[in-house]
Amino acid sequence: MKEPEKPIPPDPPGAQILPKNFLRPCLLLLLREHPAHGYDLLERLRPLGFNRDDPGRLYRALRALEKDKLVRSVWEKSSAGPDRRMYELTRAGMEELHESVMSLKATGEILDLFISRYTEFVALRPTKKKSPANHD
Amino acid sequence: MDELEVIRVRDEVLQAMYWMHSEAISTMPTAKELSQFLAVPDTVLVPFLERFVEDGLLEGESTSFYWLSPDGMEAGKRTFADEMADLTRPTHGECDADCWCHDSPEAAADCLHERTGKAHST
Repeated sequence: MKEPEKPIPPDPPGAQILPKNFLRPCLLLLLREHPAHGYDLLERLRPLGFNRDDPGRLYRALRALEKDKLVRSVWEKSSAGPDRRMYELTRAGMEELHESVMSLKATGEILDLFISRYTEFVALRPTKKKSPANHD
Repeated sequence: MDELEVIRVRDEVLQAMYWMHSEAISTMPTAKELSQFLAVPDTVLVPFLERFVEDGLLEGESTSFYWLSPDGMEAGKRTFADEMADLTRPTHGECDADCWCHDSPEAAADCLHERTGKAHST
């Protein structure tokens, strides 16, 4: 399995534009809220702009976060099925989340300025809710 | 097939399939689903999957669907835990040898209880 990964295809026209690598801080935020299983994270990512069609991306992201020691996981015994991994945030993860949020906040301020300057000559209608696009 | 590569891929595949199974994402993925999940081309992955079927770690249906055998299930769970073992020890709190939680069984129980919400420091 030494072949390079396929490049991520460009976003379809009209897709939401989310920051690059946005999945990473999103996962840290969800785990800051409370420890969770993979399936729960998949569900809770939807309002943040991620669809449920790519659980592999979530799996790989969780593995990377765990290897970077930002997240840890433990087995949770199940009486009804196989044991599952329960993910929780580490202190290093909490610190990285805070740094990401400060960076996103600065980006948000620039975007607010950009939109405000545009709306000086074009009135924008409220954004319609779109189905989540595939982003990372 | 390089045997070291076989071992590396075996662990990756079994861990991923165990995770998919335990999260009820898929108990019987196709080679294509697995290749998308692991972000590798299916042409690269299929020979490994067939090898793992021969080794009794996977069971398959004519190179279409694959599922974990009982041995594969056990190996997937175990290697997943082994790989992250340094992150999941010690068992209660990230504490030193002289932590208060070693004072008594009650203190150890309190430590475990706290750990579900927050880790304590010494």
